[in-house]
Formats: sequence, structure tokens, C-alpha cells
Amino acid sequence: MSVIKELLKNLFTKPITLKYPQERKPPAERFRGRVYVDYDKCIGCGLCARDCPASAIEMVVIEPEKGIRGRRPLIDLSRCIFCGQCELSCPRKAIKFIHEYELATSDKKSLLLIPPKPKGSQKP
Amino acid sequence: MSLFEIPLGPQHPALKEPIRFIFKLDGEIVVGAEPRLGYVHRGVEKLAETRTFIQDVYLAERICGICSAAHTTCFVQAVEELLGIEPPPRAKYIRLIVFELNRIQSHLLWLGILAYEMGFDTLFMYIWRDRERVLDVLEMITGNRVLYAINQIGGVRHDIDDKIAAYMRKALSYLRERTKYYKGIVERDPTINARAVEVGILKKRDAIALCAVGPTTRGSGVKFDIRADDPYAALDEVPFNVVVYDTEDVMARTLVRIDEILESISMIEYALDHMPSGDIRVRVPRVVPAGEAVSRVEAPRGELVYYVRSAGGEKPERVKVRTPTLANIPALCKMLEGAYVADIPVIVASIDPCLACMDRAIFVDVSKEKVWVWSERELRRYSLRWYRSREGVRRR
Amino acid sequence: MSVLEYLMVLVKTLIYPGVIFVIILSLIYEWVDRKVYARMQNRIGPFYVGPSGFLQPFADFLKLLSKEDIVPPHVDYHVFTLSPIITLYLVLLAMFLIPTGAWNEPYAILAFEGDYILALALTTFITIFSFFAGWSSVNRFGVIGAMRALYQMISYEISMFLCAAAVALDTRTLCLSRMAEVQASGLWYILLHPLGFVVFILSMQAELDKVPFDTPEAKTEIVGGWLTEISGKKLAFFRLASDIKLFFCASLATTLYLAGPWGPLGPNILWFLAKVTFVIILVTTLRAAFARFRIDQVLAVFWKYAIPLSLVQVLIALFIPH
Repeated sequence: MSVIKELLKNLFTKPITLKYPQERKPPAERFRGRVYVDYDKCIGCGLCARDCPASAIEMVVIEPEKGIRGRRPLIDLSRCIFCGQCELSCPRKAIKFIHEYELATSDKKSLLLIPPKPKGSQKP
Repeated sequence: MSLFEIPLGPQHPALKEPIRFIFKLDGEIVVGAEPRLGYVHRGVEKLAETRTFIQDVYLAERICGICSAAHTTCFVQAVEELLGIEPPPRAKYIRLIVFELNRIQSHLLWLGILAYEMGFDTLFMYIWRDRERVLDVLEMITGNRVLYAINQIGGVRHDIDDKIAAYMRKALSYLRERTKYYKGIVERDPTINARAVEVGILKKRDAIALCAVGPTTRGSGVKFDIRADDPYAALDEVPFNVVVYDTEDVMARTLVRIDEILESISMIEYALDHMPSGDIRVRVPRVVPAGEAVSRVEAPRGELVYYVRSAGGEKPERVKVRTPTLANIPALCKMLEGAYVADIPVIVASIDPCLACMDRAIFVDVSKEKVWVWSERELRRYSLRWYRSREGVRRR
Repeated sequence: MSVLEYLMVLVKTLIYPGVIFVIILSLIYEWVDRKVYARMQNRIGPFYVGPSGFLQPFADFLKLLSKEDIVPPHVDYHVFTLSPIITLYLVLLAMFLIPTGAWNEPYAILAFEGDYILALALTTFITIFSFFAGWSSVNRFGVIGAMRALYQMISYEISMFLCAAAVALDTRTLCLSRMAEVQASGLWYILLHPLGFVVFILSMQAELDKVPFDTPEAKTEIVGGWLTEISGKKLAFFRLASDIKLFFCASLATTLYLAGPWGPLGPNILWFLAKVTFVIILVTTLRAAFARFRIDQVLAVFWKYAIPLSLVQVLIALFIPH
């Protein structure tokens, strides 16, 4: 009958459920949410693309004149499984997982992390 | 009274995953159970051959979401054996802690499901509320609540610092109190007793003959636990008891799991106290030398076996997984014979089925109690034969 | 009778305390039941529609009404479509027999010597129509659920009726309104017949298909039981009927054991509602505190314990009249 005691006790305590859109639980420090790439640090080695289990990373050429060093990762978040292997593989610590986790969208294109064009390369 | 056939599944509220049973009923009593597996076959083993060892760790993790720590630990150990390296001692302790937290989480989840199958929604809500505490701890350690991605070939990814350890101790002592409270409810509540005692009997003889594993077999009085029989991670340094009950019913399997939660809590506390300092990871080469390795762990549901063969490259040549649920299906059919319709969900739940991890390239003929694996060629030959015979029927 | 009196009768049967009052109140009681159940489990419960989810049962009802009306092939069309309507009609009729204390009148809308027997007969009919709905749906789970409903009925009805009979024996009347009135001047029957009250509440739990006796619609075992094939408008009617049934059974317990609408001071209707709320919270607490019995265990509970205890209560009422 100890359940009944707890039942009556719970009538007068606050419910544990979070009213989600109004209340949000902060994620833990090590939480892996959306991927963030620091393209300035990136050297274009392509280790992240090689190790990605979900083939979410593709190396695209943005500076053809630099050869293999001119590639940068293009990350498709809709394929990403948030395992964090790219963060481990990156020799320059250019990839980080930030706490943002509400990634639902109706526009699939917004889930592509496209590397920016380098400043000098824009042709007239 | 004539026999009444009732289908259960592939979709049924009592089953969280698709499996189909055909029950032959005499009134409300089951006289025969015939399972049909394979609804969630995903081709994981074949997929593993096309990926590198590093990527396969994440694939193994996704075979089962509930025992994800068990799958990665087992796979990583097999690969480490092939490489001939030993992870640092601290890494072994962290693996053990995550593994046991995973077990607590899995058993609590299961206990909640059992309560739900019995129609005891309140207990289900309470247990799942408390399970959140374990998930919080796991999130703090690994950065995720379900797919931890903490086991790496050659060690672990994250360390456990003092802040996390302190939080963990607090959560564990809360959980110990709660688990004891739930044990009291399960032992004393008249309705739970009516539904669990002497229901789903699996005799010790049958449990051994049908090769049942994990808490299913320990509830039938068989002392079989990989953690004790073949210690892995830091288990040879951490003391624990193998929980065995011998009443052979659903109640025994429930109490085995509840006691295992308490046992795991003590194990984690001991491991936290005696954790050696040092590195948590060694660097490993990407290419794995040729050879083969078998690794076993005691997953929450029972013995999990990984067989990995490498031909000396970045990718494995063959990965074979034997999950505990598959081993328990013949035992489950035995338990179901002679049960009431109302007891079916409880008995099915009592083996803690995890069907998605079970369905791979394996063929089970339960009536002959025979399990075999087909290669692709054999499978093709069989399919050709099958179609030819069907065409023959049509022509006639 | 003057026109005004005819109008009054119309208002009483249709609006207050008749059909509309009963429907609105039973939907509100469904909210009370769900909210209390949720809070006992440390959850929020209904939350979005109206202030603290107050209008959720209304929203559910309207949503179900707007759904497509599906009649599966091979069902017995007439029984299948008529049973929800008849069930709803029967529970509404049953509510007319309950003295609610509205307009400060001591008697129910339909009060006559012997309405007690009609009220108990109606509870049986309601169960039989849920059996018809399950049986006519020609679904394996539906048929099993329907059979279980009948199995269960032949156990809990006996103990329920015996407990009620003990009250009738003691009050020397077969009119529900009179029974309540008798208690108003003396002690409430919850004090005089404590055993009867306990067994009555237990039987009521089975009558209402609530845990631990919800075997006819046990969802983890037989999907939805006799409700499996019922959907859309039919489900809306059955759910409304089961809400009214909850209200009716709670008010029956109030009438038999808690002196119905009578109280020391204040308007009678408030006393009636307060007592009904108490009984409903009691039902919810029991629902939250147990697991489901198996059908054979349900029969065992009633035949081994509840029925002998209710017989004892009848004997006490016979030999020690108050």
C-alpha cells in the first residue's frame, strides 16, 4: 500500500514534466548538437570526410589553385548522426559540436553547412 | 471447444517492435506459439563489411539503442584483440562505469514496460521518471543520452572528472533508495504478485537445453553470467555477486533484474573509488592486421557475442553478431505454452525482447530448435529454388 | 398543469438537471479523473485546451465526432451502429433516477417506488450492449473482449446488487430518493455499512472497466477489447457513455452510502457534487494504485471474497436493523 502514500504525496508536489516549448532543459556540457566548423582553422585534409560513418561530409573544392589544400568540408546535417567522429579526427580542432539541438526545418537546404568562398577569389 | 487462432503482431500495442506470433488458443489458454521473425532486418552485418573499423563502432552502437554501450564495448574489444593492444586501465574503468549505467538504464526501462504490460501505469510513470536520472548522468559523461559514442578503439573518448563523479554518486544513492522501494512494491503488491508469480515457467532443465541467456536463465536458477565467467573491461578488479533466483517464473526474472540494478550501483561506486589515474586512450593504427577475434560481454539482456575477421585492411572482412534476444526466443516459446492470453504480453516482456537487434542474416527454425546462417550464395540458390517451385505450382 | 409547469418539466429533463447538465458534468468529471490521475503519477495531464486543460474532454469528443464513420465489412450492421446510441440513451435514462438536489427538490426527475431496481437493471443492460458492440464487430480481439465483459459481469454485479440490497433492506424502501432522505435524518450508510461501501466501490471499479478490473479492454493484451473496431462517432458516443456511467455509478454510491444531496447546510446540489467528486477521486486512486488482474483472477476476487462479504452485509442488515 506504500504506492497509495506516494500517490497522495504527489498530488501536492509539482509535476516533473517539462512544458517543453515554454521550458527547456539545458543540455550537458559535453552535449553533441549541431556541428560547427571553423573554416579558418581547416586545412582541407579530408580526414573528417573519410571517417564520417554517415557520409554526411563531402570535400568541395573552393580554391582550385591550391590543389588538395583548397578543399573544405560541406556538411549535410540531415545525414549527420551526431556521433562526433569528425571532431576526433580533425587534426586542427576545427570541428566542434555546439549545444543547438532544435534542427527541425521544412527547408532541407538550410541543413547544409556550405563552406564560404575565400575573400580574394571572387571574380569580377 | 475448437482451437482458436489469434495473431499477435507484427503491430500490437504490447510489442514495441514488430514480431509476429500465431497463438493457438483453447479458450483463454495458449496451446501453441509460432514466432515469425525478420520484420526489422536491416542488413547490419553486410553493411559493416563495407565500412572501416572506425565507422563500424558507430554502426555497432546503432544495432540496439538500449544496450548501445554493450555493442560498442564488445566490438571494440574484438578489434583491440586483433590489433594486439590493451586499452589503458583508466579507460577500462570508464568503460565499465558506462556499461553498468547502461545496464541500470535498460533494466529500469524494462521494469517500467513490465508494469505497463500489467496495466500498472503509475509504476511505469514513476520508474521512467527515475530512469531520467541515469540518462542525465550518461549525458554528462558522454554527451548523449542514448547513443553514447564513448568507446573508441584503443580507449574511451571522455574522462570522468570529480564534478561528474560527485553528481553521479548523488544520483546513484537516490536510485538505490528508489530501486529498493520498487522492489518492495513488486514483492508485496497483490496485483503484481497475481500476474507474475508462477507465470511463464521456464524450468532449469529447459533453460539449459534451449540455451537461454542473461536474466532469463538466471531467473531459472542457472548461474551463468559472462561478467563472472569471462571478465572483460575492469571486471576482474571490481567485486560483484551474480544474482540468481530459482522460482523459474516472471517474478524471478523481475527480481533478478531489480537486484542487478542494486548490484550495478555498488559496482559503479566501487569503480569510482578505485579508478586508477592515467591516460584514457592509446593511439591505434588505422589498418588492422589479418586475423579473427571473438568477444563476449554480458549485455543487459544476456550474452552478446561479436565475431570479427580482418583480412588486413581498413575494413573488416566479416562481422557476426549474436544478440541475446535471439538466444531467448526458443525459451520464450516454451514459456508461452500453457499460459493465459492475458499473460502473453507479460511473458513476452519478461525476456526483455529487443527485436531490432535480433533480425539480421540469421534463419531460425524454432520448431526444430535449429539456427543457421546462410551465405549470400546459398541464399540466392534458395531463392531460385523457391521461385521455381512456386512457378511449378502456378503452371500446374 | 399549466404551461409554465410543462415548461418546467421540459427544462428539468433537457437542461438542468437533465441531459445537458449531465453531459457537461460528466465531461468535467472525466477531466477531474484524468488530471488527478496524472498528478498522482507526477505528470501534468490535460494542459492545452482551456485553463489547465479543462476543455480537453470536450475537444476530444468534438474531434471524434468529426472523424469518418467506418463500418468494417462483415459486421452485424444494425447492432454495431445502434449499440453506441442505445448505450448512451440507457446511461442518460439511468441518471434521471438519481436525486441530485437540483432546484432544492428532494426527489429525482424520475422517482417512484422501485426505481432502485430499474437503476440496477440499467447497469446490466449497459454492459450487455457493450458486449453486443464487441460481438457484432466480428474481430478476434473484439469477440474476446466482449466475452470477458460478460464473464466479468456475472461476478461483480452480484456483489454490487447484494450490497445495494442491504441498504434497501435497512431503509425499507425501493426508491433511491427515499433512501437518500432516510440517511439525511440519521447516520450515513458509509458508517452503518462500511463493509458494503468497500465492496460496492470495488464492484463499481469492475462495472466501470477500470484498473484493476479493466480486462474487457486491456490494451496491452487484446488491443482495445470490445472497443477495437469502434471508431469515429461511435467511439465518441461510447466514450461519452462511459463518462456518464462513471458519473452515474459515483452518484449511485453517493445516494446509497453518502445521503445523496443532503447535507447540514448550504444548497443540496453542491453537497451532491462534492460527494460525487469524492467518490470519483476514490475510483481514480484505486485505478492508480493497482495492476490489472487476469480474467480468472477477477472472477476469483469476486466469488471468493466480494460476494461472501456482501452476503455478510445483507445478513447484518437483516438481523441488526437500524
